[in-house]
Amino acid sequence: MTTIPDTRPPAQVATQRPEYPAPKYRSILGGDRSQMLFWATIVVLALLVLAPVVPTLYQSVMDRPLYEEGGLFTLENYTRLFTEAGFGSVAVNTILFAVMTTVMTLLIAVPMAIVVIRTNIPGRKFFGAAMQWPFFISSLILGFGWITMYGPAGFVSVQVRRILGFLPWDLYTLPGMALTEAVALAPIAYIFCANALRNSDASLEGAAQTVGAGPFRILWSVIIPMLRPPIVYSSVLVFSMSIETLSIPLLYGQPVDITVFATFLYKNGLQSIDPDYGILGAASVIILLVTVLLVAVQAKLLKDAKRFVSVRGKATRPRLLDLGWIKWLAVAFITIYVVIGALVPILGLVMRSFTKIFTPLQNPLASLTMANYQRIFEFPAYVGSIRNSLIVAGVGAILVSVLAVVAVVVSKRSTFRYRKVIEYLALAPQAMPGLIIGIGLFWAFAFMPFNTGSLLQGTVWAIIIGFGLRALPSAFGSISPAVMQIGEELDNAARVNGADWLKMFLRILVKLLTPAFVAAMVLTFVVMMKEYSPAIFLGSADTAVIGTTMLELWVQGNTGSVAALATIQIAITAVFVGVAGLLMKGKKDA
Amino acid sequence: MPDVAVKNLRKDFGGVTVLHEVSFTIKDGEFFTLLGPSGCGKSTTLSCLAGLEQPTSGSIAVGETVLVDDSSNKFVPPEERNLGMVFQSYALWPHMTLAENLAMPLNIRKISKTEQKTLIHDALDKVGLAHLSHRYPHQLSGGQQQRVALARALVYSPKVLLLDEPLSNLDAKLREQARVWLKRLQSELGITTVYVTHDQEEALAMSDRIAVMSNGHMLQVAPPHEIYERPATAEVAAFIGRSNFIDGTVVSARGGAAIVRLEESGETINVAVSEQAAAGDLVTVAFRPEKVFLTNRGAEVPADAIVLNADIMTTSYVGSRYAYDLKYGSKTILVDSTTGGLTGAVRLVVPAEAGRLYPRANVVSKDVAELMAVTH
Ligand SMILES: Nc1ncnc2c1ncn2[C@@H]1O[C@H](COP(=O)(O)OP(=O)(O)O)[C@@H](O)[C@H]1O
Ligand SMILES: [Mg+2]
Repeated sequence: MTTIPDTRPPAQVATQRPEYPAPKYRSILGGDRSQMLFWATIVVLALLVLAPVVPTLYQSVMDRPLYEEGGLFTLENYTRLFTEAGFGSVAVNTILFAVMTTVMTLLIAVPMAIVVIRTNIPGRKFFGAAMQWPFFISSLILGFGWITMYGPAGFVSVQVRRILGFLPWDLYTLPGMALTEAVALAPIAYIFCANALRNSDASLEGAAQTVGAGPFRILWSVIIPMLRPPIVYSSVLVFSMSIETLSIPLLYGQPVDITVFATFLYKNGLQSIDPDYGILGAASVIILLVTVLLVAVQAKLLKDAKRFVSVRGKATRPRLLDLGWIKWLAVAFITIYVVIGALVPILGLVMRSFTKIFTPLQNPLASLTMANYQRIFEFPAYVGSIRNSLIVAGVGAILVSVLAVVAVVVSKRSTFRYRKVIEYLALAPQAMPGLIIGIGLFWAFAFMPFNTGSLLQGTVWAIIIGFGLRALPSAFGSISPAVMQIGEELDNAARVNGADWLKMFLRILVKLLTPAFVAAMVLTFVVMMKEYSPAIFLGSADTAVIGTTMLELWVQGNTGSVAALATIQIAITAVFVGVAGLLMKGKKDA
Repeated sequence: MPDVAVKNLRKDFGGVTVLHEVSFTIKDGEFFTLLGPSGCGKSTTLSCLAGLEQPTSGSIAVGETVLVDDSSNKFVPPEERNLGMVFQSYALWPHMTLAENLAMPLNIRKISKTEQKTLIHDALDKVGLAHLSHRYPHQLSGGQQQRVALARALVYSPKVLLLDEPLSNLDAKLREQARVWLKRLQSELGITTVYVTHDQEEALAMSDRIAVMSNGHMLQVAPPHEIYERPATAEVAAFIGRSNFIDGTVVSARGGAAIVRLEESGETINVAVSEQAAAGDLVTVAFRPEKVFLTNRGAEVPADAIVLNADIMTTSYVGSRYAYDLKYGSKTILVDSTTGGLTGAVRLVVPAEAGRLYPRANVVSKDVAELMAVTH
């Protein structure tokens, strides 16, 4: 217990106190050094965000490719887009695909969040973690896995056809695409719903219980309404993510000619011998408009319903509901999602990578081989793509996390006049599909003065910029709550004590944010390891990453090596996340 | 140490004015308190002094040094003001030991390591925590953290000490001890101190002068006993200590006294006034529960005293005194008395100097008014 000490007798009296004057900070060009940092941050962000957007807008109203002289203003690209290029049916496909994906994602995620967080099913912790596994796997790999198992000639499909005489499903359709995409996106919706359920007020339920409401009544009248905000929010999020996704539509849609936004860009920009840049630009602008609109809606929703992303945990633990026999149904449902949705395809892919022929018609163990890996390690280009992926994800994770920390702190903790703009800029890439970032940066590099763009074009730096831009919003989003949790009085105390903003940032916030910084780095590494779509336009033969190499091998029909590369990527991610997790845990315990 | 002069300080937050042209001067070595209910703008005032907020207009100067002046567009950032500040949450940096916390302002001032050692030791010793200098803040109790925060604010001998509700997170017993201790430390150091609190007892006990604030206005700036004895407005009377308020109309005013007819009963009352009052003015009469007396009906009272007839509703014994609730018309009047056992119809004696006259004001919040209205 504290006792108040006797104040020492006043040995020396007030007047003798020496003065220790406050430090003077020199100003540079009329602004102090903190201001310089603020401006540097906003300039870097603005350059990064505008680089892909401005040339795209410009190209969309030019009558010839940007690199050709004498371009004239035209709106013809937009009319041609809908008449000649058949963009209308593409838009319809995209919307159908996005709606189906959103509905299926919610059907998976919402019941699962309720069951895992709020009922007493056995193995809740395990299922809660398992629910998030698909996040660590790129949807490209998940798509490969699904085709390997459930595609027209997939392992499971062949077996089912042998037993039934026919195959009751067809993966290469819009619903098939949507189902796979939903499995990939469910973790995101799950996390939002789970957070809302964790933070919600348990006393409401307690009240309902005391007046004798049964578990289903509580579920219906208390829990479901509580989930409305996260459901609305994650629907918009999932919808906008499925509008821009390339992987699954490319893998499933290409063979049967189902085209959506992303595959349209892919086809017109990459696969045609003589790409029509005007149409490419116009299509990009329209897609950008849609995604920007959706992100704006998300931001609005998030603002309106701040409470469900509250970072402060409630002290009271909600009581768990007992669903009786239905809980076994719930367990079965989750198990099916995890096993059939993620585990079987991924294990199938791993199996495929170690076999020559992978079919139920022949014991796979009889054709075990390392040939798929050998092929990869024999070709320097393939090995190079693994190295590039590691460099891009490693260097990118550091750079992006540093930029994100600075951006978060300036936007949340400074008096900089344009701090809000910094936040918008850092979050803007959310609305920028990977392919458009790729195309836009490609044009931007072609456009840079004194041909400086050629120094970047085709290098890993170009890839790091493209992937980094894509990863920036999630890094920003992961650091931001950590900053909000640090009391502002800690900054203020440092300022009053004589630290200018920069010194306060370096001496106080940087130290306190180290765990959040490390977590953001891990997250960014995973995100950038999965990423590939900007590299389709930005990469050269020397700068392929694992994703683009897998696509190339897939097109060549080299599925064994695709499986091997996928396995390698999963292994890298697993090892990295595992080691980082151990390190962070060790740090915390110490 | 110099005076702190604040002139026409105004602060808007997005169009809402939180401080309305506040002016005051703090004398050298003074313990000056900003007192007012939560949200009235105390912390904002303090933040403007510290430089953590930039005022919308107005000026602040410490001695000859101008810190803020909107007319010359001057704004000295907090780090160059050389003030000491203790925050409500203490704001000790959790990743540093106590010694490191105290070393930070000294490092910034480029003071040699050996001198730092002495200064840190002296400062921690002053708050009785020198033996814990290698602990981390989270290893200390709330009271200890609060003292470290004070030591950190004092270690570089700032010109002015700013304290934002420093005791409000301590438990009641400790708070009272800490009050005495802090006041003694302040007067020993002789440091000009601006203290923010919403606790009137704390303010009355510690301050040389108090500024009572409400809704971004400064209602009164005066020494504690004057604030209590002669509240400048009805609002101050309501906020500091307890007061009874009865509406009335001035019947006549002459010299230093006015006769007021009370609306509840039509009875008249004699009130000493300092300012001008005129017959017909609508007023509110305020008096404190402990400044009036109760007698049984029929008992002798001094000839010049004004006597009101009231009925006792409830009595509670609160340790050193009895607290009576009186029914007076539709109003409840609170009276403190050392005599117990009074019941029923009584006479309430209001000495002329006990009452104070204010322009008719609605000072009692609606909730309280409803509770106080006699319904039976
Ligand atoms: N940064 C801010 N933005 C908007 N309003 C604020 C801000 N800081 C304080 N306020 C408002 O100013 C008023 C005064 O606040 P404050 O000075 O903290 O009051 P006190 O310290 O007296 O409790 C409050 O109504 C508060 O809501
Ligand atoms: Mg305050």
